[in-house]
Amino acid sequence: MQILRVQYGPGFYHGEDVPGYRRETGVAQSSVTETFVALKLFIDNWRWAGVPFYIRTGKRMPKRVSEIAIQFKSVPPILFNADLDQPLDANVLALSIQPNEGLSLRIATKLPGAKLKIFPVKMDFRYGSTFGEQSPEAYERLLLDVMAGDATLFMRRDAVESSWVWVDRILNAWADSGSRWLPEYSAGTWGPLEAERLIESDNRKWRLL
Amino acid sequence: MIQPLTASKIVTQPPIKIRVADIESGLNGLWAQFNPLINRGQTVMRACMSNLIIYCDSLDEAEIISQELIDIVDAHPVRVILLIGKADPQNDSVEAYVSIYHTTQPDGIQVCAERIDVMTSQKSTDRLPSVTRSHLIGDLPTSLWWASRQPPPDAGDIFLELAELADQIIYDNMGWANPIKGVNAMTRWVASQQDAQVVYNLAWRRTAVWRKLIGQVLDPLVAPDALDNIRQVKLDHGPHALAMSWQLVGWLACQLQRKPSESQSISNSEMLWKFRHNDQDIKAYVNRLPEGEPLLYRLTFNWSLNGQERKTKLERLDQERISIIESQPTAAPRVYSGHIPQRSMLVSAQLAHRDRDKVFERALRLTSAMSAIFSK
Repeated sequence: MQILRVQYGPGFYHGEDVPGYRRETGVAQSSVTETFVALKLFIDNWRWAGVPFYIRTGKRMPKRVSEIAIQFKSVPPILFNADLDQPLDANVLALSIQPNEGLSLRIATKLPGAKLKIFPVKMDFRYGSTFGEQSPEAYERLLLDVMAGDATLFMRRDAVESSWVWVDRILNAWADSGSRWLPEYSAGTWGPLEAERLIESDNRKWRLL
Repeated sequence: MIQPLTASKIVTQPPIKIRVADIESGLNGLWAQFNPLINRGQTVMRACMSNLIIYCDSLDEAEIISQELIDIVDAHPVRVILLIGKADPQNDSVEAYVSIYHTTQPDGIQVCAERIDVMTSQKSTDRLPSVTRSHLIGDLPTSLWWASRQPPPDAGDIFLELAELADQIIYDNMGWANPIKGVNAMTRWVASQQDAQVVYNLAWRRTAVWRKLIGQVLDPLVAPDALDNIRQVKLDHGPHALAMSWQLVGWLACQLQRKPSESQSISNSEMLWKFRHNDQDIKAYVNRLPEGEPLLYRLTFNWSLNGQERKTKLERLDQERISIIESQPTAAPRVYSGHIPQRSMLVSAQLAHRDRDKVFERALRLTSAMSAIFSK
């Protein structure tokens, strides 16, 4: 597992000047609370053997968006993908959790016409656009379920505890490191250069969200 | 409320002024106006193939681009983020507007473009990348069309930050105030990209018909030994087409595997380059005509064969035709189609292509070598 943790510094957010995290009201100037984490991990079971998981989360990023993206393996270097200098973009299935619930599939497609030109296209399904109304906010639904006593959408206690066992190990390691300062990324960006390097070392890149 | 802008099937609505933080919700509001159609069982389809970031300097330039956008989104549906760097908005440091372009289909509506205009003053252009970053559509290719008349690298951080967001950079060296400096800066920047992005010059596309014709008239089957025996090339161009003309000469030298050895300014309107190979010089004269459009007008090749001087002249007759006249009295003049597409067509065609053009990049490097020699 590889983990990167950083804090946002001053920058522009939606065109406005914003201060760095340690200059925000109510935040200690010596705070070492991370505002961005990027990690690469593997799940040690037969189902996910050899599949890297890249997770990126942060504050003051260009968009508020939560997605799970499944990137399919590269196709063999034949036919449309024969040019090794310009490999095709990978096909991606993205499950959008918020703010626009839905899913999209990005696929490499041949452009119409006689020439062999490939272009990535995206098929997009959004609940809001398709049905003309948005789904209720996540907590609206959960609070209703609490009142109705329906636990279907809640995590089970053992799953929550297992998650915290894993997260606590990371938090404890950070606490033990005694860091008194965290590197910064500019507010309004997708994080630091180190986050790019984390994934680029595997010849991959973060998706444009 | 919906007003056709032109005779095109694309229609749009007047842009709505909006807070920068509310751009997405503003666009969603424009979408919502079609909800009654959905409820009546009609289809509302959104077509979007790319993000297109456009940077220009002034409101006048933005107005011209607005007219061109109809043709562009008709051919290649996109989300447009039009950035205007020296607009001097009245109240805010950054001002934003949203609008959509759509067509009416037999079974519903097709929205083929969402447009976000963001304008700022010259001293606040550093805010534009953050607005752009927040409004790109994920998982789609992104192109930056640098429509400013300033050579891109000379614009500094605003160009570099926008270029970082793009898979493809489209620029146009037509009308650059200082072509020598601009070509050098652009070549250095392209070389530093390490194959990360596709870079494309619209002026290069405008020379396509000339390059094709040159290839045909100098083909060894048509003119045996001409390629090895060219002594002189003379090119006449209209005002503001110097960089484009250089690039054509650079391409020719590249194809002939010649390197520039010497240059001089003959007059205020004419330059000479010499290209040396095997102790033989090719002289290339590039002459600016006193008036006309920013086009290539005339290209003359002189070569010798078995002691005889030969000459081939390619000349633009009008917007649609180029003639070819050869020195041999037996060869009849020929006329070829020399149509140059509008800028909007050049941009929309380029949006669909994502391959690097190695020939263009080689020509760019040689053009830079020419300007370096000229600068000495």
